[in-house]
Amino acid sequence: MIFLKVLLLFLLSFNQSYAADVLAEISARLVKTPITQGSFQQEKRLKVLRKPLISTGTFTYHQSKGVIWKTLTPIPSLLLVNESHLLTGQGEQAVPAAFGKVFKAMLGGDLKQLTEGFLITGENKKPSWQLQLKPKDEFLQKIISTILLTGDTELRALEIQEVTGNLTRISFTQVTHPVNILPEQEADFERLSP
Amino acid sequence: MNVYHPKVTAWFWLLGMLFIGFLGSQSLGKDWLETGFLALLPVTEQKPEIARAVRQHNEQLNRKVIWLTGAATSQDAIAHARQLKQQLQQSGLFGKLMLELPQQMMVKQYQQLFPYRYQLLDVQTRFTLDNNPKDLLAQNLETLYSPIGQMTAADLEHDPLLLFSRYFNAQNPLKLTVEQGIVILHDADRFWALLLTDLEDQHLQLDKLEVLLALVNSSTTQTQAAGGDLMVTGMPLFTAQGSDSARQEISTVGLGSSAGIVVLLLLTFRSLRPLLLSFLAIGSGLFAALVVSVLFFGKIHIITLVFGASLIGVADDYAIHFVCDSFGAKNWLPRQGLRYIFPGLVIGLLTNLLSYAGLVFSPFPGLQEVALFSAVGLLAAWLTVVLLFPLLLTGFKPDHQPLILVCANYWQQHWPVWLLKKRRWLIPVLLVFIAGGLWQLSPRDDVRLLQSAPAELLKTADKIKQLLPVSQENQFFLVSGHDINDWHQHEQQLLKRLNLLTQEHKLMAYQGLSDYWPDEDNQETNYRLLDKTLYQSGLLKQYMNELGFSEQAINTELKQFSEAKNRSISLPEWLATADETKQQLWLGCDVDRCLSRVVLTGITDLPALAALQSLQGVTWVDQVEQLSSLFARYRVSVSLLLIAAYLLVFTGLGLKFGWYDALKITAIPVVAALVSLAMMGWFDQLFSLFNLFALLLVLGIGVDDAIFFFMADSSAALSNETDHDRRASTSLAVTLSALTTLLAFGLLAVSSTEIVHAFGFTVATGILTALVLSPLVGNRTPDSREIKSSKRR
Repeated sequence: MIFLKVLLLFLLSFNQSYAADVLAEISARLVKTPITQGSFQQEKRLKVLRKPLISTGTFTYHQSKGVIWKTLTPIPSLLLVNESHLLTGQGEQAVPAAFGKVFKAMLGGDLKQLTEGFLITGENKKPSWQLQLKPKDEFLQKIISTILLTGDTELRALEIQEVTGNLTRISFTQVTHPVNILPEQEADFERLSP
Repeated sequence: MNVYHPKVTAWFWLLGMLFIGFLGSQSLGKDWLETGFLALLPVTEQKPEIARAVRQHNEQLNRKVIWLTGAATSQDAIAHARQLKQQLQQSGLFGKLMLELPQQMMVKQYQQLFPYRYQLLDVQTRFTLDNNPKDLLAQNLETLYSPIGQMTAADLEHDPLLLFSRYFNAQNPLKLTVEQGIVILHDADRFWALLLTDLEDQHLQLDKLEVLLALVNSSTTQTQAAGGDLMVTGMPLFTAQGSDSARQEISTVGLGSSAGIVVLLLLTFRSLRPLLLSFLAIGSGLFAALVVSVLFFGKIHIITLVFGASLIGVADDYAIHFVCDSFGAKNWLPRQGLRYIFPGLVIGLLTNLLSYAGLVFSPFPGLQEVALFSAVGLLAAWLTVVLLFPLLLTGFKPDHQPLILVCANYWQQHWPVWLLKKRRWLIPVLLVFIAGGLWQLSPRDDVRLLQSAPAELLKTADKIKQLLPVSQENQFFLVSGHDINDWHQHEQQLLKRLNLLTQEHKLMAYQGLSDYWPDEDNQETNYRLLDKTLYQSGLLKQYMNELGFSEQAINTELKQFSEAKNRSISLPEWLATADETKQQLWLGCDVDRCLSRVVLTGITDLPALAALQSLQGVTWVDQVEQLSSLFARYRVSVSLLLIAAYLLVFTGLGLKFGWYDALKITAIPVVAALVSLAMMGWFDQLFSLFNLFALLLVLGIGVDDAIFFFMADSSAALSNETDHDRRASTSLAVTLSALTTLLAFGLLAVSSTEIVHAFGFTVATGILTALVLSPLVGNRTPDSREIKSSKRR
């Protein structure tokens, strides 16, 4: 029995350092610039609804300013978020636990930051890599069971599996890295910093 | 006078003090110190329901201490906060410590209120339904399609319209980020974890506050050593800092002034005896005053203690005049000395008693206390001088000529002459100076001047307020109605107006129960509103269909809605689910009245809020304003009584010595007081009730100075001794008394606490003026000579 435990511990620690290596490799593959933008398609599968909620739109990530999430179909709406503020059409909202940070880490390619809040396993294959995240925070554990990330030089898809069985899948397309953001985007970010 | 035996009188004194000591042992064992400001209000002004609301409000505010631990990452901030929580727990100072949000409680509250979701609509939802019900559905879709919809839509299955999640979220207007169950705030470069604590004891006892300050300091160093930051704020901290700094200053100044007085008296008399006797006289005065006041009033206010004690300082005069008289005669015997100065002592005592006793006639309990306290203290100190000093001064005869005596004597001989010679332009200058100063004098009764918080503490408090705008203001509304429905209506009217004010940015936030709990009528209206706009109209069915709910889900929802038709939740039931802060807003119902508080955050326009008290059933409670206006009324009342007392003193003196001399004597303290007031005007000093107490001291000492100079002449006229010596010793006594008073109180002028500074400034200017002017009294010989010679020319 003791032997088993030791073996398990060893495997676990091995596994972790392995994950850290994989993380570093994947990080190295990602294009890292201060600004990332593109289009998204979001598909939400809620258990109580017979059909998925599908929405599309554009996103803009700015390293220091946060994220603009602009839904265009079926109902146009705007969501602005940074580490401490979340603004929707219905006003200021509470930032869900670790949400701002996770968003930033994923879209900004700063995968290392994720190890703080998640247990990470994954593989670095060609052409695409995959990571599986499980929250460490017990409060978050009650809501999210796993987050699945796939990508190549960019993050291509994000899948959130909730404890309740609900599933959200977001795929990113037409990802670019402009040097500057547009004035209207600048104005949107302005609203985030009171 | 032969009956007067020092030993016999000393026995009297001892017996008296023993008796007071006995009384003291009976009365001072209990809790006799009052600190609440309501005790200062006249009885008729203390409306019991307001008093109760104020008490509840203060109890809440006076306990809260807010702690924020900061670090570069939220993980570290939380780690620091956990460490801090442990430390605070060990201190035993706090009754409640909240780091993790009470999740269990919130879940329970959610479950208890959920069945009433069709009755409990939040204000915004009701507004939307009233105006455009389709907007509500559009907002729901926006939420559901957004990437963060999960949280708000968690219960979509049971609450397809998200009605209850709206209601539940509206109960916590602040949108806070929570990590590991702990509230995390974020500024430009740091994460802060929030720890809320309530002191165990709401009474803010000074020793507890000291422990709190020490705790703040030690936890700051510890958190910093661990690489973090700590910010702390809360009413107890302000009180602790305020009293701490004032006490530190007063004790520093006190140490300096005591040293000064000791050196001064030692140099003058080359003996410890006068010093010890002075202390003895004032000490017995204070003790007797305390015992008698506590016996009489049961409890005395801390303000009484402070100002009463200062006023007893006049008693120092009696001791000094007595002791100084030893320089006035060649073979001085205490009994003889007493005989010479006795008339002066009596008149001095009577005038002072008269001016203090006037305060008794004010309607304010605080002033009545001060009056009794200082009168008793003065009398006891005076009796100590008269009864005990003759014995204790036996054999006391300084055989040296202190330098100060020589100076004082030279000064009293030549100074009045110079003054009189120049009076043609001195008097107009003085009049212009006084008139100009008084013209610029404007009272400031703002009670906030009493508290002088260190800039650093204010900065922290401001920063925390920006990060976390939850701290309640001192001001609040009291809403009443003759029953619950009536109350609800009144409060709703007030809250509607407050909502407008928040939109105009005159107020950041407000909290009133009626926004969270609709009364039974409104609950029914809410249900009917939903029925009409969404259920009957078929909008709900359409919305659920489009979203993809099953037919069965739609039917379940319709069934649940119709089953909930006659449900209602009463206020007590609702309150039982609420958190403590909300429960405390409710003050309960009695036979003919229901009462609640509406609390406010971030007021920027006080008058706009105060104007709302015209609404029915609404009372605006502004303790700061109330206390300030109380001080203003105290100030006016004291001024009038002061004037009345001096008219009385003048009349008494006039009947005894003739009107001309009475005018001369009273002119000294009056001019001293006027100059002091004028100086306040010229130098734009704080002028409030507290300066008047200082003026009382000035008047007391000024009149003593004048009377002793006057009596020095008349007693010299009675005795065979030369006029010269008696005036010399009197001028020494006046100088010494002025110097000791300056050292004791005038030095307070260097304080940075404005109120303490104002007290010191008033005493210093007044005493100096009295000192400068008093030799003019009774300066018959040189004066008349001068006039005669000038006439001859």
